[in-house]
Amino acid sequence: MNTLIQPAPVAVRTEPRDSWASVFALARFESRRLLLSIPVLVAFAVHLAWIVWHTLDSYDGFPALQDADRDTQSPPMLVGLAVLLTVNLAVLRSRRRDTDRHFDVLVVTTWRRSAAHVLSVVPAALLTAVCVGVQFGWEALKPGAVGHGSPGELLVGPLTVLLFGTLGVLLARLLKSAFVGPLLVVFFLFFVVLGVAPGDTESGTRWLNPVVGESSSETLPSDLLGRPAAWHALYLLGLGLTAAVLAVLAGGGRRVRTLYAALGGAMALTLVGAIAQSGGEPASLTAAREKATVDPEQTCVQRGRSTYCAYPEWEPRVGTWAQVVDEVSDLAGGTAHGQRLLVRQRVEARYGLSGDGALQPSGTAHEVTVGTRWGGPRVPEFSSAVAAVLVAGNEQAGSELCDGRIVTVMWLALGWQDQPMDALRKVRLDDSVSGSAIVLQPTDPLSMSAAQTDVVRTLLTRPRGEATARVKEHWSELTAPGLTTARAAELLGVKGITEKDGCQE
Amino acid sequence: MTTPRRLSNVPELLLPLWRTLPWRALGAAAALGLLVAGASRLPAGFSPWLALNALRAAALAFALGLAFLLDDPARHTTATVPTPRPVRQALRLALVAPFAALWWTAAVLLVPAEVRPPVGAVTLEAATVCALALAGAAAAIRRTDEPEPGVGVGAGLLTVAVLAPLLWPDRWELFVTVGDPEWADAHERWGVVLTVALVGCAVWAREPVRRLRVRSPLT
Repeated sequence: MNTLIQPAPVAVRTEPRDSWASVFALARFESRRLLLSIPVLVAFAVHLAWIVWHTLDSYDGFPALQDADRDTQSPPMLVGLAVLLTVNLAVLRSRRRDTDRHFDVLVVTTWRRSAAHVLSVVPAALLTAVCVGVQFGWEALKPGAVGHGSPGELLVGPLTVLLFGTLGVLLARLLKSAFVGPLLVVFFLFFVVLGVAPGDTESGTRWLNPVVGESSSETLPSDLLGRPAAWHALYLLGLGLTAAVLAVLAGGGRRVRTLYAALGGAMALTLVGAIAQSGGEPASLTAAREKATVDPEQTCVQRGRSTYCAYPEWEPRVGTWAQVVDEVSDLAGGTAHGQRLLVRQRVEARYGLSGDGALQPSGTAHEVTVGTRWGGPRVPEFSSAVAAVLVAGNEQAGSELCDGRIVTVMWLALGWQDQPMDALRKVRLDDSVSGSAIVLQPTDPLSMSAAQTDVVRTLLTRPRGEATARVKEHWSELTAPGLTTARAAELLGVKGITEKDGCQE
Repeated sequence: MTTPRRLSNVPELLLPLWRTLPWRALGAAAALGLLVAGASRLPAGFSPWLALNALRAAALAFALGLAFLLDDPARHTTATVPTPRPVRQALRLALVAPFAALWWTAAVLLVPAEVRPPVGAVTLEAATVCALALAGAAAAIRRTDEPEPGVGVGAGLLTVAVLAPLLWPDRWELFVTVGDPEWADAHERWGVVLTVALVGCAVWAREPVRRLRVRSPLT
């Protein structure tokens, strides 16, 4: 009788399988659910729609990239709120469905599941980075773009999403109720998005907010902005990592030693960022702003008869300025037709981005000021400044014009444009084409009386050649001091104008 | 079954219903609402615009709490009680209503009188957002088998609340500021939305007569 001998069982490897692989698998699954959840899908759809709507005609096609990078910051907060809500509900899903107990028999421990939830936020942040990249890339590829964007400013959007997402996980681990997420979104909506933050808007504490806006719409050279963008990005990253590590700690990771080291590192990052960003404006920046305003270092180039001096970042724009100057000179008669001009770019940088400062008109003969923005109404504004200098000799005198010479100035400024009536509407402060109004210029504004407006409007509706010929014919009289509006109208063949001049208004 | 018998056990229902109300959600929502409204007392001071939005945010917070009002973990077992669903839901609402009224009064009084928006109009807005939350909850109960749809309803309400001010067409402006010439017209529109939401609440409170089922043509 043979004894049936069972073969010894094959040894099975009992060491735990790579549990990080399961963490990544869970993170992949959760991030897929997160990205396909309705609030996140809606938020990304709205974000993309906003990008298209905003970027199609932002900055009138002439963006300064040091301004355009800040535009990418606020909309991702919406995505962040959606991610916060969804990831919060995802962490609490097992509790809501009463499947927590089943997880106890799995090899993936609770803290690793928390880590997977934290990791599931990363693809949403990366997708936000892609959206931000698309928006900024679009601006940068516009033919009229100048300046430099800052990576620190561009990182704010994705890092906000990361921060909000990790906060969602942390709060789900701390307050295990499904209604905490939605209520938290209302809280953030009110206190962060509406900008009701404690603290003075001028002080360093405003940088504790994720997104820090500026009250001024001035465009400055990028080295004069004085925004601690890189430190702020570091602060946001540190804050996000701190929330992430705390979430894992609160989610069953109290025994994992490395987490405490990670927490220390993340908090150190946050602190370094927070302290460095709230340092205020260094004295060297104030000095640089003073210098750029009063005695700037500019490169000057000659185009045609005139010279153009611009801040280095604006050099590519010299060509467009030269076009305007040439068009205006072509309409002028007498010596003004061949007059050499110096076009100097100026900016009031001493107030930084906290307030707008007005530029004083220059007293130097034949010098015209051009600002840092371009496109839209800025074109006829510059054009009228060139015209005023050609007629009056310098900007100071040009800004004091009020007699019939205003008609000459406005004809020179607008007569060459393709849509002169549109340009007239744009250059006037109240967007009107009749009655008296203020005409904006890079420096002090001009004012047009109602009768002067009537003459200019009539001229602009006539054939261009006819009006140009009349202006050149009577040039010396049309630019003589003391010319009345009625006389100017008579010289230009416009009837029914009786006003002496506009100086009394 | 006659109506008097259907309503006869209402007094017995009151206590169990009182116990099942989502007091924690409502309490948290009310507390957050008061916090937001109370922020207007901060020394920095609120502009009238901010005070109006503080009250709107407070109302939204409370409405999110109300989204959980119709949650009933025992839904599948209470489906068989003789008291019909509209009566049970109305009872829940009646139990919460005094609390809500007290809370709203407190929230409005927390905003300093000099920046407080017109109380009647803001109350109309608050009532509308609460009615929308309840209509959403009633619809979720009616159209799904989910016993606790509060989370989904809250998320939906929140999405609508964030997107509506961004995407609502200007022709039918709803989110006006105090002093806007559209203020009165906008609040007529709020009244319309409130009516629609209340009708929704009433319609979705009814119990379905029978389950919707596609009948196979072969049977």
